[in-house]
Amino acid sequence: MPRPVLSLLTLEEAKIVHSKSLEVLSTIGVRFEDPEVAKIVIEAGGVERGGRVLIPEELVNEALRATPRRIELYSRDGERINTLGESALIFNPGSAAIKILDYGSKSPRPPNMSDLKKLVVIVENLSHIQAQSTALVPDDVPIEIRDAVRLYPILKYSKKPIVTGAFTVENLPVMLNMLRAVREDAWKRPFAIFDVCPSPPLSWSTVTSRNLVDLARTGVPAEIISMPGLGTTAPVTVAGALVQHHAEVLSGVVLAQLVSKGAPVIYGGSPLLAQPRYGTPLIVAPEALLISLGYRDMARLLDLPVHTYMGLSDAKLVDYQAGAESAYSSIIAVLGGFDVISGPGMLEFESVFSLEKLILDNEVCGLVKRVGRGFGLSPDELALDVIREAVLEKSGNYLLHSHTRRMIRREVHLLRIWDTAPRSRWPSRDIYEEAHLEVERILAEGTVNQLELELQEKLDSIYQELYERVNAKPVFI
Amino acid sequence: MEGLKRELYAAIVEGDADRALAVARRLIDSGVGAHGLVVEVLVPAMRRVGELFERGEYFIADVIACAEAFKRVFEDVVKPRLERGEKRRVAVAVFGTVKGDIHDLGKNLAKVLFEVEGFEVIDLGVDVTPEQIVEAVEKYNARVVGVSALMTTTMIEQRRVVEELRKRGLRDKVIVIAGGAPVTEEWVREIGADVCGDDAFKALRRVKELLGVF
Repeated sequence: MPRPVLSLLTLEEAKIVHSKSLEVLSTIGVRFEDPEVAKIVIEAGGVERGGRVLIPEELVNEALRATPRRIELYSRDGERINTLGESALIFNPGSAAIKILDYGSKSPRPPNMSDLKKLVVIVENLSHIQAQSTALVPDDVPIEIRDAVRLYPILKYSKKPIVTGAFTVENLPVMLNMLRAVREDAWKRPFAIFDVCPSPPLSWSTVTSRNLVDLARTGVPAEIISMPGLGTTAPVTVAGALVQHHAEVLSGVVLAQLVSKGAPVIYGGSPLLAQPRYGTPLIVAPEALLISLGYRDMARLLDLPVHTYMGLSDAKLVDYQAGAESAYSSIIAVLGGFDVISGPGMLEFESVFSLEKLILDNEVCGLVKRVGRGFGLSPDELALDVIREAVLEKSGNYLLHSHTRRMIRREVHLLRIWDTAPRSRWPSRDIYEEAHLEVERILAEGTVNQLELELQEKLDSIYQELYERVNAKPVFI
Repeated sequence: MEGLKRELYAAIVEGDADRALAVARRLIDSGVGAHGLVVEVLVPAMRRVGELFERGEYFIADVIACAEAFKRVFEDVVKPRLERGEKRRVAVAVFGTVKGDIHDLGKNLAKVLFEVEGFEVIDLGVDVTPEQIVEAVEKYNARVVGVSALMTTTMIEQRRVVEELRKRGLRDKVIVIAGGAPVTEEWVREIGADVCGDDAFKALRRVKELLGVF
């Protein structure tokens, strides 16, 4: 079945990059801010030098041998959703916006827990966004627990898998407890993925490295997201940044496997171009996308599941730039065959979220997934008999042939929100207005997959304890 | 002499530190005073660099190279020759990148620019806690505090710095710059800082206005 597939590096080229990254790890090494984490690698054969840990090639090879090639991802309720490692194309809103852009506003505001619930409900009703993510950081909650509380509305109102992450060492175990409160075998049949990001160049902060250690120990999938900034925190050349990116991800793979052989990891990334004048982190700059396609081939070389940040925009409003950047990066993500694609709904360097943009991005996701699905070459699809009959017997009008009706729903993807109507049926509203109406419609009539009461009580009690720790009143939504 | 001055000016603007250093030495040997060198050549050259940056012709990397050329001439040639008391000291500024953030590009750029303008910059480096900043403010009697954050997740630490200053009764004694690419005027107001440091040149201008030095 012909499917458009985009690859960048040949096998030989990928091997060259891999060998350079191994050289980086064994000669330049990685800095672990937390000495306890450094110790894990040193005790296994890493070499301490000048505050850094050199990681020999054997250690990397051993880790790669132990790393699972595929990860089965489940829903909250235990239903199998997809296999990561086989181009799963799971779009989800990006991570951790600190602002939300209301409809019609030009100034984003801090989001609250109620916004987070709205986001969850909308994602639950969008067919092309297959996973939830903790995409808003609520401002009406004490800062110490802002990472963990984000899981609450998702677990309560949605059954889709979750892409999330912690900002602190101490809240990760709480988040894991929340998952287990909802389903006892949350580790065995995982429904949440946690992001952990090394700090470029070649460094791991205490928080993210300890998170990775805890995740590996528990057996929860960790998405290792390197984020080289071209020309600032990484070489300005795409190839150089790719070498560094790959080395950073490998260092995370090594750490995870040293903690627990077989720990599930996803090869991730959020490369960016530091805008040469402003230093702003451009996530969908062409150079950043080339790095992503490059590391996608590195993940392919190692046969690991792979994640990316695409389908988002660095624009400030839901405008032409937002649409163009989201669409062009989405098609690249789909043709690149990524498993997890984070970004729909995001604006302004992944710091601002728009519910209307999420609706429009869902359209893009459907569109690009349709392109990615390709087409079949069966006799029924090649349709030689149909051509003969239509041309010779039906005056060339395929609308009259039963084949059209039989195949059209399978073959053709219809857009829901985008304007494809003739002017006579056009309601004189632009696409942004349409998206807003859809937001309102879903919030009023959409499906909510509420957690069953008994589990909800368990979840509530962990949620409440979280607030008690910081002497605050829980925000129940 | 004028030819050499033009050459030094060009070397700084092009970010050629080796050439700048060599020409500066020749100028000093020909009898140009250290202070004159700063006022007539170095500062105008850095202003030109700032203009080129504002006009979009220069990138951050260019500005850093120019600042480095400036700094080397300043440190190696000018500073040793400045007579005691002649060196202008506008104020002490304490700079650091917030806790949890190890990006220091913006902070380093700001540091050089502030030093150029006569500030004594106490650079606390990266991953700096609010307590470390406040201690440095007390120790060096600083008038300016610059806290930089590159990541949206670490920006919140800037608020903690302001809170810590307030707690120790130092808030009104210092001008607080919240620096870094994600920082906005709105954020500065929200956390109770004074100057938006999304752009180091702009921040410097604003700090000088607030201090009443031009």
